[in-house]
Amino acid sequence: MSPASSSPSEVVLRCEGLGKVYRSGFFRIPYIGLEDLSLDVRRGEIFGFIGPNGAGKTTTIKCLMGLQAATSGRAELLGKDHRDPESKRGVGFLPERPYFYEHLTAREFLHFYGSLFGLPKAVRAARIDELLARVQLERFADVPLRAYSKGMLQRAGVAQALINDPELLVLDEPMSGLDPMGRLLIRDLIFEERRRGRTVFFSSHILADVELICDRVAILVGGRLRGLGTVRELVGDRVKHIDIATRLPNNDLSLPGELIRRDGDAVILRVGPDDADRAIDTLRAAGASILSVTPAREHLESVLLDEVQRAAPVNQKHLGVLA
Amino acid sequence: MQLWAIAANTYRENIRDRVLYSIVFFAVLVLCASLVMEEITIGDQDKVVRSVALGAIRAFGSVMSIFLGIGLVFREIEKKTVYTIVSKPIARWVFIVGKYLGLMGVIVTMIALMAGLYILLMLAQQGPPAASVYASWWMLTVELGLLTAWAILFSSYSAPITAASFSIAVFIIGHLADDIWRFGLQAESEQVRQFAGILYWFLPNLSVFNVHDLAVHHLPIPTEQLIGATGYGLGYTVAVLTLAVWVFSGRDFK
Repeated sequence: MSPASSSPSEVVLRCEGLGKVYRSGFFRIPYIGLEDLSLDVRRGEIFGFIGPNGAGKTTTIKCLMGLQAATSGRAELLGKDHRDPESKRGVGFLPERPYFYEHLTAREFLHFYGSLFGLPKAVRAARIDELLARVQLERFADVPLRAYSKGMLQRAGVAQALINDPELLVLDEPMSGLDPMGRLLIRDLIFEERRRGRTVFFSSHILADVELICDRVAILVGGRLRGLGTVRELVGDRVKHIDIATRLPNNDLSLPGELIRRDGDAVILRVGPDDADRAIDTLRAAGASILSVTPAREHLESVLLDEVQRAAPVNQKHLGVLA
Repeated sequence: MQLWAIAANTYRENIRDRVLYSIVFFAVLVLCASLVMEEITIGDQDKVVRSVALGAIRAFGSVMSIFLGIGLVFREIEKKTVYTIVSKPIARWVFIVGKYLGLMGVIVTMIALMAGLYILLMLAQQGPPAASVYASWWMLTVELGLLTAWAILFSSYSAPITAASFSIAVFIIGHLADDIWRFGLQAESEQVRQFAGILYWFLPNLSVFNVHDLAVHHLPIPTEQLIGATGYGLGYTVAVLTLAVWVFSGRDFK
């Protein structure tokens, strides 16, 4: 079912006015980690959570997963109060830069996490074989985790997050520090979970991935929600610039745009969104042939940067409290 | 099942820890060396050997209890392994009690190992140990159970060095509890008497578990003392663990 047609009953993660105030130092000076966050994540969608460092992404996830107590608001996981340990029964969680018990082999490690969900041994064994194959660690199943590389540990971490066949998968920076192959593997896993009707909520710094795979995205800056919607809704149809590939009749022609690349008589010119018609007319009038016209749309990155700049005074205020 | 899983993982983690083997190595060394005491001792040589060997088991048991206990919870927080545990459908008390039971499993295994070696050494040298020796190991286990609970309490909110200092302080004060009580009774100042009273009633009286002399002399340990000390130890342990659960339940993991 597409997220757009979801009804409120299909919300699997809900935050209502969630907030977290930290207290620091001897005088317990307060500073805001998260402020009045309200959002719903619907069943079956891939939901991206983006923002600069210190935006409150990890704080939100830690509050939801019971690692920190929210100081205001409420949250629900799969219809249950997030403070109730039972709300985690259908949730899989991968923390940022995960650390695991190094004395365990991957198989022992997954058995341990499976038993925390109360899975019978036979169910665990079958599931572990399947998961090790999915994260491509079958060959290293009986090697202690202390011998694993960072990427292998991340994959083992994803396997532990999937051990209970969760309805909701919460991943904090799952692609951080991974090589392109590792990122691809995690992306495929996320897609596969969605195909199976699962919901994925993840934070990431890698905006290209977020843009590529997310149904909806929330932008968090300075502990506040600054944007929420589909990538299209957030980015809009704004065209940043247009690249024109053309073959020139001679090299004396004055170029009606910024030269991006030249390969013999073929060049790529970059012009503003409103200058394309005039540039093409000029080129054609001079006898040039137009090979392609490619509009470059705005990316999430520029939207995020805009939000960060707009929120700067708020950030300073928040940091000022800390100082 | 969850409690068992955490206890089993803690047991496995500690049993695979090289630090434990260093402690066991030295314990075995001292136990074997106690036999040499026979050659250099004047008087009742058998009792001296028993005293040194049983004392070594007590000392190494206490060292294990404190030094494995103080890092038990803190290490999980420091290494962030706790993130993937408390985010599962388990209550926080399950984590603390599971860790405690796992470590007690290690301590009981180690006491059993040292006791087994003691029995073999005694069979080779003096004959089978008296029943009071076995009873003393039971008392030691109850005492270390209590000491481990304190170590876990300190470990659930402070770094290992602080936790070690507090645990050692509890150990020392606990063994001096009777002396503190007597000192308080004799003190002229009302404040000193009150302070000694608070220390006596608040901190554990570990001397109730000390039946070393009776075991060394192969004298029977009164049943009332065994039952009383066991009840006291278990009750106190439950109270300290409850406090540790309360402290741990209120913690934010940053």
